[in-house]
Amino acid sequence: MAIEDVPLPAATTRRFRQRVWLTWAVLALLLAAGAHELHLDFPYIAQKLPFLLGLKLSPDGFIQGAALTIFVTVCSMFCALLVAVVTATGRLSKNPLAFAIATFYASLFRGTPLLVQVLIIYLALPQIGVVLGALSSGLIALSLNYGAYLAETIRSGVMAVPAGQREAAMALALPRWVITWKVIAPQALRLIIPPAGALFVSMLKDSSLVSIMGLWELNFLAQSYARTSYHYMEMLIAAALIYWSLSIVFELVQLRLERHFGKGVAVAGAR
Amino acid sequence: MKTLFTCLLLLIALTGEARAGTTLDRVRRTGVLTDVLLDSYPPFGFIDANNELAGFDVDVARAFAARLGVKLNLQTPAWEAIVSGHWQGRWDVCICSMSPTRERAQVLDFPAVYYNSPAVLTVHRDDAAIKGPADLTGKRVGVGIGSSYEKYLGKELVIPGAPPLVYPFHDVMVIPGDESINFRNLALGPGVRLDAVVSDLATARTISEANHALKIVGPVLYSEPNAVATEQGDADWDRTVAHTFEELRQDGTLAKISRKWFATDITADGH
Repeated sequence: MAIEDVPLPAATTRRFRQRVWLTWAVLALLLAAGAHELHLDFPYIAQKLPFLLGLKLSPDGFIQGAALTIFVTVCSMFCALLVAVVTATGRLSKNPLAFAIATFYASLFRGTPLLVQVLIIYLALPQIGVVLGALSSGLIALSLNYGAYLAETIRSGVMAVPAGQREAAMALALPRWVITWKVIAPQALRLIIPPAGALFVSMLKDSSLVSIMGLWELNFLAQSYARTSYHYMEMLIAAALIYWSLSIVFELVQLRLERHFGKGVAVAGAR
Repeated sequence: MKTLFTCLLLLIALTGEARAGTTLDRVRRTGVLTDVLLDSYPPFGFIDANNELAGFDVDVARAFAARLGVKLNLQTPAWEAIVSGHWQGRWDVCICSMSPTRERAQVLDFPAVYYNSPAVLTVHRDDAAIKGPADLTGKRVGVGIGSSYEKYLGKELVIPGAPPLVYPFHDVMVIPGDESINFRNLALGPGVRLDAVVSDLATARTISEANHALKIVGPVLYSEPNAVATEQGDADWDRTVAHTFEELRQDGTLAKISRKWFATDITADGH
């Protein structure tokens, strides 16, 4: 048993948690006090908040604000995951063609800025006759970009599972799909989930890039209101807080998944 | 597999937003006019307290769609997306305060001028040095990115059909950006981030009335036409636009909308 795996006494854990919560509360209070000093126009924020949160539909009957941000992020997350699994498979493949395509794609999309990709898909493709809608351009750009990063995360997770695990499963004459899904995948997922969660949190924020295409998501509305009314501080702080709250929700989901897949190696005292 | 299939179908449905055929056919067939405009360019186009697009350009677009007997669909992509042309059927018309320039005329058609706007110089209230365009030499001047004002300061503005402009300055440090952010930066103080802003008179007046740190100085720099822009290649559609706007001018609709927003008629000598 490694030294860090020694179970901590329950009282120590509780004290640690209490102090963490206390420090968070103090920091949050300090931030709130700082915001109070800015003499923000709270009635204005209250007036715009339902639109920023997306509680109401936009004039053309589509979702807007934070609701659209979540929609774009969740759809892109799903597509990025599909792209990443395929790419990671290619990356781990012994077929030179599959390997080359996977590495070429990952290198291209990891090596160019997301903003440039969004602009190429939305602004440059029409020049050659490919006209994508605003929403689909955004989803494609986010999915392809994050798919490339996620593929590397998945690959490293799979590679990190000790070779002995596969060898043992093969010695037991388990079918290939059982080895992949019941032996390798659960162990790899434990390693994949933390960095993948971090990627999705950053995707949530990068989804603001789709505002360029005139999608009325959170960042678009906050900026548009701010420019028209000169309430920059109010609108940008409101948008930042909404993004932050959403990120916290994402992080909590990630934590639950981490606990689920970490069951096999969990120790008492793990936080 | 089923979800994957649904996802693909959804993607295809989304990308199907692009429509083929010429503009006039499309507007007649669908009964919808898709107009692009700016969302943070008060008083021409902005998001109002009810979260609806409002402004002079919006009212003109409504009148135009009503005259054609079709429904109006408003979209607000980034300005660069509009002026770069190659709409490929994405949008039908741009009633978005665009000045025809030589460069824009290469990718867009300008079938009807619907108002004239004088370009003016705005400085900080405490600025005593800048009294006119001749004082701009060596100064930092903010302009809307991709605007005709940017071309003016670069001494490259050619308004088709108008006499060449006079440029009484040299070595101006042109700072392109969002127009309302430029005004915001100028209000920080003379020379803090900007020394002056070149913009349209109506915008400058609206902003300097709301923000007393700013003042309009000097003579009108030049007067420029603002035209309805269409995608190149549909002469029938251009004739329809020209003809309909002529009607709107002659029956006083444009003048009425102008008086609502500016108390004067900026649409008068639009030829």
